[in-house]
Amino acid sequence: MRYQNATAYRFLAPYLLIFSIFWLWPIIDSFLISFQATRTVPWRFAPTFNWGRLIGDPAFFNALKNTLLILVIQVPVMISLAIVMAVLLNSPLLKARGLFRFAFFAPVVVGEVAYSAVFRLMFNLDYGIINKLLNSIGLPSVDWFTNVTPAMAVIMMAVTWRWAGYNAIILLAGLQSIPEDVYEAATLDRVSKVKQFFYITLPLLKPIIVFCAVLSIIGTMQLFTEPFLITERGGPGGGTETLGLLLYRQGFRSLNFGYASAIAYTMAGLAIAISLVQIWLTREPK
Amino acid sequence: MTSRSPISHSRVSRSQARLGRSIALHLFLTPLALVWLFPLWMMVVFSTMPDNGIFSPDIELLPHGNFLDNVSNLQRGTNFIGAIGISVSVAVTYTFLSVMLTSMAGWALARYNFFGKGMVVAIIFGTITLPYAVVLIPQFIMVARDFKLANTWVALIVPPLFNSLGVLFMRQSFSMMPHELFDAAKVEGVKEWRIFLFVALPLARPMLAALAIILFLASWNNYLWPLLINSKPGAMTAPVALGTLIGLTKVSWGGIMAGAVMLTAPMLVVFVLLQRHFVAGIAAGAIK
Amino acid sequence: MAAVTLKNVIKRFGVFEIVHGANIDIDDGEFVVFVGPSGCGKSTLLRMIAGLEDISDGEIAIGGKVVNDVEAADRGIAMVFQSYALYPHMTVEQNLSFGLRMTGNPKADTERRVKRASEILRIAELMKRRPRQLSGGQRQRVAIGRAIVREPQVFLFDEPLSNLDAELRVQMRVEISRLHKELGVTMVYVTHDQTEAMTLADRIVVLNAGNIEQIGAPLDLYDDPANRFVAGFVGSPKMNFLAAKVVGTDNSAAIVELVNHRGVRLRKPLSDALPAIGGDVVVGVRPEHFFDAGQGDCDLTLKADVAEHLGSVSYVYANSGTGGGREELIIEREASRHRANGDDLVVSIKADRSLLFDATGARIR
Repeated sequence: MRYQNATAYRFLAPYLLIFSIFWLWPIIDSFLISFQATRTVPWRFAPTFNWGRLIGDPAFFNALKNTLLILVIQVPVMISLAIVMAVLLNSPLLKARGLFRFAFFAPVVVGEVAYSAVFRLMFNLDYGIINKLLNSIGLPSVDWFTNVTPAMAVIMMAVTWRWAGYNAIILLAGLQSIPEDVYEAATLDRVSKVKQFFYITLPLLKPIIVFCAVLSIIGTMQLFTEPFLITERGGPGGGTETLGLLLYRQGFRSLNFGYASAIAYTMAGLAIAISLVQIWLTREPK
Repeated sequence: MTSRSPISHSRVSRSQARLGRSIALHLFLTPLALVWLFPLWMMVVFSTMPDNGIFSPDIELLPHGNFLDNVSNLQRGTNFIGAIGISVSVAVTYTFLSVMLTSMAGWALARYNFFGKGMVVAIIFGTITLPYAVVLIPQFIMVARDFKLANTWVALIVPPLFNSLGVLFMRQSFSMMPHELFDAAKVEGVKEWRIFLFVALPLARPMLAALAIILFLASWNNYLWPLLINSKPGAMTAPVALGTLIGLTKVSWGGIMAGAVMLTAPMLVVFVLLQRHFVAGIAAGAIK
Repeated sequence: MAAVTLKNVIKRFGVFEIVHGANIDIDDGEFVVFVGPSGCGKSTLLRMIAGLEDISDGEIAIGGKVVNDVEAADRGIAMVFQSYALYPHMTVEQNLSFGLRMTGNPKADTERRVKRASEILRIAELMKRRPRQLSGGQRQRVAIGRAIVREPQVFLFDEPLSNLDAELRVQMRVEISRLHKELGVTMVYVTHDQTEAMTLADRIVVLNAGNIEQIGAPLDLYDDPANRFVAGFVGSPKMNFLAAKVVGTDNSAAIVELVNHRGVRLRKPLSDALPAIGGDVVVGVRPEHFFDAGQGDCDLTLKADVAEHLGSVSYVYANSGTGGGREELIIEREASRHRANGDDLVVSIKADRSLLFDATGARIR
């Protein structure tokens, strides 16, 4: 093979420089900081200072519990919904396809702050449109933000609304890459549409579904803006506090960088574990 | 569909079955679509209502005429127009730089063999799923304390350039092009950077458009990093400026909603106009 | 002077050796075709001459100058690619002039060269179009035009006709021949199609699995192949190979028994050393070298399976029936409305119209 080191690195250099400074080195640095006591200057090496605190910190376990709870409920619901959206949007029977695509995909372009504001207003106890609509059909108002369960529900609904269409776009692209003749062959074999979905579509789509799930898990794991803005800094009483929010609080409110780095690396560990599960789930059968 | 025409019995039942399925499909999908549109619609409705309308017991589902008042209420709370100016400039600059950097890197990875290529690829794509949260603290310390760049444009634009999505996407795009095109230019004595500029990039135009849209959107909506690094009034981006108002007690919600609309509406227009590129850009994330 | 010389050229990809030491001398102005099945290394060899692949070992010289470390652009070559490699975003004119513009060639000279190429190839009326508005044959012309514009010492063609339909391929073949006569420069041409090789080449290089099997003029390869591979590769339909055993020798001839044809014997006069008695050999007979019963040196009785009537000739697909193992043969007959299915067919072969190969495929002369 012809090696073209000089030419190649001339093209690569600008990106690699930025990549190394703002991504590669911070990944290493973050790991190092997590082993240092950073409350006092100068920082000193104290391997158990942050990690020791982490495993005994009820605030950490509360955030971890909330994050995992959101993951376990929100991600499956959203992915299922995204699959339904993608499959139905792909139906040749659908009229006004453009309108439906707009409805489901539009949230993808909405910023976190904008939609957090809208959800916060919609779920307002006394004047929110949701409670007004509930009342109008004879149901009592729900006090969305002062109880933990409804507050969690609002967070999950908001995230699902924002990201289901995003996943549906990816799944739809996957669906469209499945050759039509596979379905034609199945139809000739008298396989019903429903069975075609379960025995052809889902298996062929599996790698993409897993990919979407991993993407969503890693995204949801870092959930920050929604509990920060919608439920007012993880309220009520830390009931919607997530790892992302705890990291923010520790790192940028208490300026406790070492502890925040330990929290960050906990998230990284979870992400790596999930990526390994993805690789295992989508491995080529021998 | 009626059976006026002399068609066989099985044809009739088949088209009836199709019609039934079609009706069921629309009966299910239409309410779901309305639910999905509802928050966006309410954003628009709220942005046109005075605060005493928003906080009244009546159900209001149609827009009023108070948008401009709300904008001036918003402007009284924070310099939102100025913040939008910053957001636009930052997003445009970031998008341009990121597209250039990542397409150059993607080109190098797609076209050349070089020492260390395997390692470069492994590091870039091996770390792509690490959560951003991991680098947040060191990035902040570096930019704010070491480089003393807090509350500058550089701080908003440069650090997020590490994003490797574009490298992945452009490498894929370039390696799908027939390499004979580049060989032909090479045989003709065209220098590599000219091949990149005058052959590869023009051919990659649709991919560049998709990438640019996704990067622009990411920069426009970016919240956490600008919140941390540019928190001084006057240096804030539009989402950060708007975020500071949420949760304050003496604040105009109509103004906040007007701000939300101003952040969202341009992106929706872009989305409608360039839906194809948008979808291509997002779907490309799934191609590994 | 633009002779091309390959001395012991070796190509390795990692541990795999793709080309095992090629020695080829191409004269100035000669039209040489590299032919062989896919994966034989012919394209790699061409790309090494072009400078698009490194040479792992050995030497390539163009016009007497070793070019191993010379950039592709400075070798005085131009290349026409299989996919044409036209820049889809440029007009024909821009495609033709791109290389010259990018390397700072004077504008007037570029215009002159583009004009000349467009005249030679009769594409003047296409200059403002883009590649996607052209037919396959037109694209091919533009690709060749882009090579002409460089005014190279050597033209390299990498399977240039394989994307065209049969009729256009014949037409472009003639066109390339004409171009060679007109320009008089060295051309090296790669194809897997032996018909193209036979019709275009001054000399053919037959490659197989990274080895050069034979180099020679088209009819020399046809009449006097060096081995079984070349014999089988050159000529269409393929040469028939009949299993045989050496059962005896007399002065300067071997007597072989065709084991699948009821032990029929053929006496084959030879000039080289005679093969050992009892050894397995192969008798090669081209489809056009079967004669009517009794006209040759020995008769074969066959069963006809299928006949393809092409008009001027017919090809009969026959088998050796139960005369030993079953052997499939293709026999050319004069056009006749031969009814084929299961008919008995007696044909005759001649010793001087058949070739003898040993068990390794080497020719016994």
